[in-house]
This record gives sequence, structure tokens and C-alpha cells, in this order.
Amino acid sequence: MRTKHRLPDPCLISFSLIGGLIVGLTVLALLNIAVKELSDIPFLISTASDSDVINAIVVTMGAGLNAVLILLIIGTPLAYVLARTDFRGKGVVESLVDIPIMLPHTIAGILVYLLFMRRGLLGAPLYAAGFTFEDAYPGIVIAMLFVSAPYYINSVREGFEKVPVHLENVARTLGATRFQTFMRVVLPLSVRHIFNGSILAWGRAIGEFAAIIMIAYYPFVISTLIYYTFTTSGIKASSAVAFVMILACFAAFIILRLLTRYTGRYDDRV
Amino acid sequence: MIEFDHVSLSLGTFALRDVCLKIRKGDFYFILGPSGAGKTVLLEGIAGLHSPQSGRILLRGEDVAGIPPERRRISLVYQDYSLFPHMTVAKNIAFGLKMQKADRHTIERRVEDLLRAFDIGGLRDRRPLTLSGGEQQRVAIARALAVEPDILLLDEPFSALDPVSKEKLIEDLREIHRTRDLTIVQVTHAREEAMRLATRVAVIIDGVLVAEDGAEEIFNAPETCELARFVGIENILEGRIVSSSDHVVRVDTGAATIIAVSDLPEGEEVAACFRAEDVTLSLPGSSRSSARNTFEGTITGFTPMGPLMRVSIDCGFSLVATVLRDTVKEMGLSPGSRVSASVKASIIHLTVRTRVIGD
Repeated sequence: MRTKHRLPDPCLISFSLIGGLIVGLTVLALLNIAVKELSDIPFLISTASDSDVINAIVVTMGAGLNAVLILLIIGTPLAYVLARTDFRGKGVVESLVDIPIMLPHTIAGILVYLLFMRRGLLGAPLYAAGFTFEDAYPGIVIAMLFVSAPYYINSVREGFEKVPVHLENVARTLGATRFQTFMRVVLPLSVRHIFNGSILAWGRAIGEFAAIIMIAYYPFVISTLIYYTFTTSGIKASSAVAFVMILACFAAFIILRLLTRYTGRYDDRV
Repeated sequence: MIEFDHVSLSLGTFALRDVCLKIRKGDFYFILGPSGAGKTVLLEGIAGLHSPQSGRILLRGEDVAGIPPERRRISLVYQDYSLFPHMTVAKNIAFGLKMQKADRHTIERRVEDLLRAFDIGGLRDRRPLTLSGGEQQRVAIARALAVEPDILLLDEPFSALDPVSKEKLIEDLREIHRTRDLTIVQVTHAREEAMRLATRVAVIIDGVLVAEDGAEEIFNAPETCELARFVGIENILEGRIVSSSDHVVRVDTGAATIIAVSDLPEGEEVAACFRAEDVTLSLPGSSRSSARNTFEGTITGFTPMGPLMRVSIDCGFSLVATVLRDTVKEMGLSPGSRVSASVKASIIHLTVRTRVIGD
């Protein structure tokens, strides 16, 4: 808000003060860890260059990205169907999509584990075909996919719903099939929502811990590594790892925001 | 060209019930009805965006039930123009041709032609949301015509335009209809547009087709009182024919006797309908006029309507006349003035009151 208030509104001021508490908490927490970690730069550098730490960050961000890529392919069509159709049992499908949001993540982990373990319903045939999920990278991706899917689907669906149906109708009358209309009209106009949904899902995915350790304790994702370091070497070592991850996340999000600053904006006046 | 055979179609709160109509090749066909009467649904039905729950829609003589919109060769222009906001004006116009896999040369040529024809060449690389309403409208029509449809559907095209753009569009549409061998179907709630452009008119009220006829008949000789009221005839006086001879009838309304030209028999319950602009006002006691109906009354009020003034008169029954504002000044009329209002017998249209709507 760049608006200048000559006479500050008492309601807005008190709301801002109350709201400031939550922002203040985050700032305080970040400053607190930053001051501690930056007081011992050599230790921070040795932590940041530790191959275990780098591996865990790469695995976490990579698996998260992987989950998002899968969501782009299988979540986008579902979001479109939910946005544009009305059918019996739609409410049930919507609830099913949302279930991972409600469930404690340990439960999500158990659900994924039971399905994808070596003797699991899907895990067994896939193991026979050469895919292992237990204590393996695909297991991490699956767990991340499960917990982050609702965030992606709901966000993209909202984007699709915002595309006026008249635009699709006009495209159809001009000779485009439904699929062509989707590719040339609906998708380009939903780019921002798809991007935001991907960021949300990615953030959710890289933050996952409970669901992942159930199926894949190894290879370490960053949360597992931090917890492991905390229990074996204590708070100093684990907070250094945490701080390195904070920096990595900030960098990633800033880069993404900059890259897509102007994507999908069509209402800017010339 | 387009035929509705007992079509019923409902969508949300909109519903069409058992609509039959026939639109011929080359018609400038208006579908007139109050807002929310299901007119847009009807257009979308023609375009193939909704299927009727019962009945058949025929295009060019064929049942089109299974044919998707992209294969119907019908263009649709919505009230909100619905330009693709992520494409430039030129790309919007080229969209349909691209979908039909026209070669690049053809696309370029036709886009150029349309940009020129609609005088929007300067907007070629602009994004739709930076254009004015009138400009968007022209782009939308150019885009619809790019695919060379033989049917053009227009959904309330004038509703969001300023008066100048509106006049321009009326001229453009006349021109398009004349030169492009198009059948145009336009829905609107504004009867003035229909009076100026339509060759045929259908009136839909509450999802039911209440009348379909040539524009002349609908506006000047409506079949029912409801229709007369809907097409803007302000003077509707109900009564009974008390004498009928030699094509001239006398209608007794209780408050007055009206003379009209008609062959209806004595005893028929009728309503005498005539437009406010067909009433001539004069000061009482002035020279006799050839008009057969003259009523003396007192002016009760004025309503300005642009250059015109709508005058309400109490003649023992209420009567409405429209005259030029200047006339009001010159005649020195004011509320309470006595005037005589005259109407020619030949201009009065009689509707039979016993007739059922939609019959």
C-alpha cells in the first residue's frame, strides 16, 4: 500500500498493530537465527559446503520439483474438469481432492507407505517392474505429490474458473475444438494461477517431513537431515543446516518471482 | 436456414419452452424479449453450445444435434465482446482462420482486409483491454466475419455502446448484411434497434415465443395487447365494436367512441392501439381536422425524451402523445392546459382481446 493517510484511520491502525504480531514473530524468528548463525561464519561455511547438506537440499528441491511436474500433467486436467463441469458426485471428488489437507501428515505417510511399500498394493507390482519406493527417491516424490496435490489443484481450478466461459464459446464457434480452446485460450489465461499453484505445491512439498520419513528415511531430505542432526549432534549443528536451507529457499523464491513477474498479465494498459 | 422444431432448452434459471421458429436465408432476424428471457441461451443453442432437452434444431435443413460448434460455420458475438485478452487485435481476428488451418498468406490477406473494412488498422498490435468499447465491438465483429460464416449471431451488440459508436455500428451492420450475403440473428431487449434493422422479429417472453412476424407487422399491427405494450405502443384502449360498416368500425370504450378502419364484426371485444407519436395536438376550438378521432382533455404532465416531449393527457381516459419540445413552447402548453388530441382512423390498429397469447 503506497497510499498516504493524512488522517490515520484508528481501525486500520489497530488492525495493523494486531496483524503486525504475526509478521513480527516471523521476522523475530529469522533475525534470531540469523544473528546466531552469522556470529560463527566459518562454521556456517563448513556446514553449507558439507556434501550431506548439499545433497539433502538438492534432493528436497529436486523431488519437490518432480512432484510439481507430475501435478502439472495429471493435476491440470482434473482442475479443468472440476472448474467446468457439473456432475453427480462432484462434491465427493472435491472432498477426496482435499483430504490430504485435513489429514495429519503421519497418516498421509502411512497411507502412502501401505500403498507403495515393497509388498504394497501398487508397490509390489512396481517393485517387480524395477521401481522401488521404500527408502528411495521415488518414495519421496510420491509422498510429496500426495500432500501437495490439493494446493495445486485448487489454485489452478480457481484460475480456470476465472476464464470467462464466453471466451471458450467464441473460440469454439470460430472452429477450435475443446482441446484447442483449452490449449490456446484457457491455459494461457491461467498461467498465473498455474504458476502460483506450482509455487504453493512446491513449498508444501519441500516442507514435508512426516509423510516422507514413513516411506523414505533415506535418502535424506532436508527436514530429515535437520531432525537427524538435532538428535545426534544437537541444536548448534542442526540450526546451521536450517539456516543454510532458509537461504536456499529465499534465493529460489526470489528468482522464481523475478522470472515470472510479468507472466500472464494481460490487463496492463499501454 | 435455421429452424427450431418444438425446442425446449433450460440452463440454470433460463429456459426456452417449446419454441418453434424459422429463420430464412438472408434474414436480419431479431429476437426481442425482456432481459432474462432466455435469449442468449437461444443463440448458444443455435451455435451448438447447448443441446435442447427436447425438439430439434435444424441448420440448412439438417438436424444438427450431433454437430459440435466448431463445425457449424456460425459466428457468435457476445454482448461483452469476449476478445481474447492475451492476443493482439490482429491475432484475435486471425484466430478462427488459424483454427481452420488456412495458409499464412490467406490469413494475412484476410486480416488486412478486415482491419481496413472496420477501420481498425491502427489497433493491429494493441491488446483488447486497451481499446474502447466501440473499438472492441468492431474487432469482435471482424473476428467473427474472418471465418466467412453464413450465419452471424449477435448478442445485444448495442447495449454497452455510446450513442456515436451505436450509430456507426447500425450503419456497419446494415452494410455487412447487404454486402456479405449473411443471415444475421440478433437478440436484444431494445425494440428501437429492431425497428431500425430487422426484417423479421420474434418476441420471446418468459422463455415462450409469443409472436413471430415481419418487422412491420410486429411493430405496427401486434396481435395481442401484451405484444402491443411490449413493442412500445402506449395508447391501448379496450372496448367493444358497436357498429361496423364499409371497413369502418366504431369502438365504444366506455369513456369515448373511437373510429377505426377494420373489417371486424360488431360485438367483437377489441383494444384500439396507436402510438404516442401518431397523436396530433391542437388548441381547442381551432379549425377542423381530417382526423376522425378528436378528444378534448387536460394536460396532466410532461416527460422530456431527447428532442421530444411526452405529453400525458386526461380525456376522461388517459392518452399519451409525443410532440417536439419546440411545439410545446410555441403552443404554450403547460400542465392544466386544455388541448384536443386527434388520431387518424386509418392509423389505429385493433387487436382482438379474446385471442389467446401464442396462438
